[in-house]
Amino acid sequence: MDDPKLARLLEHPAIWRGRSAARLAVLPSGFAPLDAQLPGGGWPRSGLIEVLIPRFGSGELSLLLPALAALTRAVSARWCVWVSPPLMPFAPALVARGVVLDRVAVVGGERPLWAFEQVLGSGACDAALAWGRRQPRARDIRRLQLAAERGRTLGVLFRPRRAARESSAAALRLSVEPAGAGVRVTLLKGRGAHGVVELPGL
Amino acid sequence: MDEAAESLFPVEPAARARLRAPAALARAQQPAPAAPGAELWAGLHLPGITHERQLTQLAQQAQRFTPRVSLEPPDGLLLEVRGSLHLFAGVAGLTTALTQLCGQLQRPVRLAFAPTPLAALVAARAGRALQVLEPAQLVGQLAPIPLTALRWPPQLLQRLKRIGVRSIGAALRLPRAGFARRFGATELAQLDRLTGRTRELRTLFRPRERFRRRRELACELESHPRLLGELTRLLEEFEDFLRVRELGVMALECRLLHRHGEATACRLSLAAPGADARHLGALLAEQLGRLRLPQPVRALELRAGTLLPLTPKAHALWQPGEQGGDAGGSEAHLLIERLRARLGHGAIHGLSLLDDHRPESTWTVSPPPAPAGRAAAQPGIPAVSARRPLWLLAVPQPLAVRAGLPQRRGALQLVSEPERIETGWWDGRDIARDYYTALDTHGVRLWVFRERAAPHGWFLHGIFG
Repeated sequence: MDDPKLARLLEHPAIWRGRSAARLAVLPSGFAPLDAQLPGGGWPRSGLIEVLIPRFGSGELSLLLPALAALTRAVSARWCVWVSPPLMPFAPALVARGVVLDRVAVVGGERPLWAFEQVLGSGACDAALAWGRRQPRARDIRRLQLAAERGRTLGVLFRPRRAARESSAAALRLSVEPAGAGVRVTLLKGRGAHGVVELPGL
Repeated sequence: MDEAAESLFPVEPAARARLRAPAALARAQQPAPAAPGAELWAGLHLPGITHERQLTQLAQQAQRFTPRVSLEPPDGLLLEVRGSLHLFAGVAGLTTALTQLCGQLQRPVRLAFAPTPLAALVAARAGRALQVLEPAQLVGQLAPIPLTALRWPPQLLQRLKRIGVRSIGAALRLPRAGFARRFGATELAQLDRLTGRTRELRTLFRPRERFRRRRELACELESHPRLLGELTRLLEEFEDFLRVRELGVMALECRLLHRHGEATACRLSLAAPGADARHLGALLAEQLGRLRLPQPVRALELRAGTLLPLTPKAHALWQPGEQGGDAGGSEAHLLIERLRARLGHGAIHGLSLLDDHRPESTWTVSPPPAPAGRAAAQPGIPAVSARRPLWLLAVPQPLAVRAGLPQRRGALQLVSEPERIETGWWDGRDIARDYYTALDTHGVRLWVFRERAAPHGWFLHGIFG
């Protein structure tokens, strides 16, 4: 297995090995220093990400927006759904950042976690963002992670930073805080993810 | 080889022919189009009819005389009656019955019988009560009818009139090749259909179907799970009904009937025509779960709204979202329905731009985006070039001011040049504001403005996120 010749042979694209299916399908985040730290080199294509923030508006959306915009611009793009956002997303700013509005839907209503799980598991969405007002339990997070994998959706759940103490079933966990004109991203959990990334201008 | 094959099927050839017979029989029993000479059409000209609905209503009633009824909008109706003659005492009896029917519906009618549908209709329009039973007599009987009954374009009739052709007989006497060249091939084809030279295939009227079924319960029920069980049976019947007709439904009403008082109704509207009992059942279950039943339920009734043709869906090799997969159209429809069933109709919406400079009027809520495919980009609305926040407050929030600077959880630091937005004087909602980007003490970037008019208040209008 350690034979370099054999390793090179196995890199041939026509050879498919069961183990290579485990490799993550990823989505470039749009920030090279961050991609270098993220497992697989980008946001996971399906699965749940938990973003922990000290307070609303800490730069968390700007961090995700390049990837979301790329998703909505793709050929045969599915939806990008915002589940119970605390404020209304400002459509002109989304368009200015390259988001195709035609692929964006907003879900309101009283049961954000239920709606989020439905959206993630439906298979109709490329990405879904949610702001849970009630603190979700560990069991809920696990259900959301399973739903996201079932629907091949990138789910993003924004939570307050104190949730870092709890364990979580999310595929990736990171904390975002403002730093000067940009943000500081701390990777808390993920396959091989670690470290702190400073992104100066966002 | 041959013998071996024979031995595998130990049936004599004659017996095999008999085995095949039922299929042949079935073919014979289909309402096979009769030979051209055997048809007899009744043409009804109904000058009083103003609306197509009145015509379909009459067609529905006329189906008691024959299954082969055909509409000729705006005011004609055709019935193929050769097979019905002996049931209604011949042409005379049928004429009486049809006149009576139209009399009941208070529609004046003119009737004619002929071996071709067009001839029957033309004769009825001309007001001649022809009763031509033999194809051989048709041309002779049609000859005196004026050409106007064919409803050709007036210019064409004028040209024919100029060469002295006013009746069908005269037109039929013209040489065919010359007629086609001078007056049009379609008109010649119409003459051929009139005389039975070519056969006219008419689309037959089919009444609109609807589904309304009721299920009496063995005992009065109150528990939701048991009600759902009963409802599932009804929905399965409904699915069978839809499947054989290749139809789908977009609106459905389920009524729960009680011993006393009003029935409880539970309405369902779908985003796309559907016929899947399990899907409908799941959506109804969501609705039922929210209902509070005033009394036990005695019977269930299912009423379908308009039935629409359902195109069977081809399943793709690729999953939506995969390379080569589609945009998840049907999944999106299901998602919309599920969210609406639980959270109400306004649960999901899209966003679209408006052409305005006032930040609060540059966007609006729109219906959910089309799940599949991509609408054209919105034309004419230029993207904002200046930096704008990702979140906008619905109503600007007033900020406290200390030493001339706005405060929010501490003093705000203005980090940008002002951007002036002054517009809207024409509709009374005019604004005059200087917008700044500000940083609060926690590093959150805010979009704030100062009113140009006194008292020069500061407001928070957006968060950059």
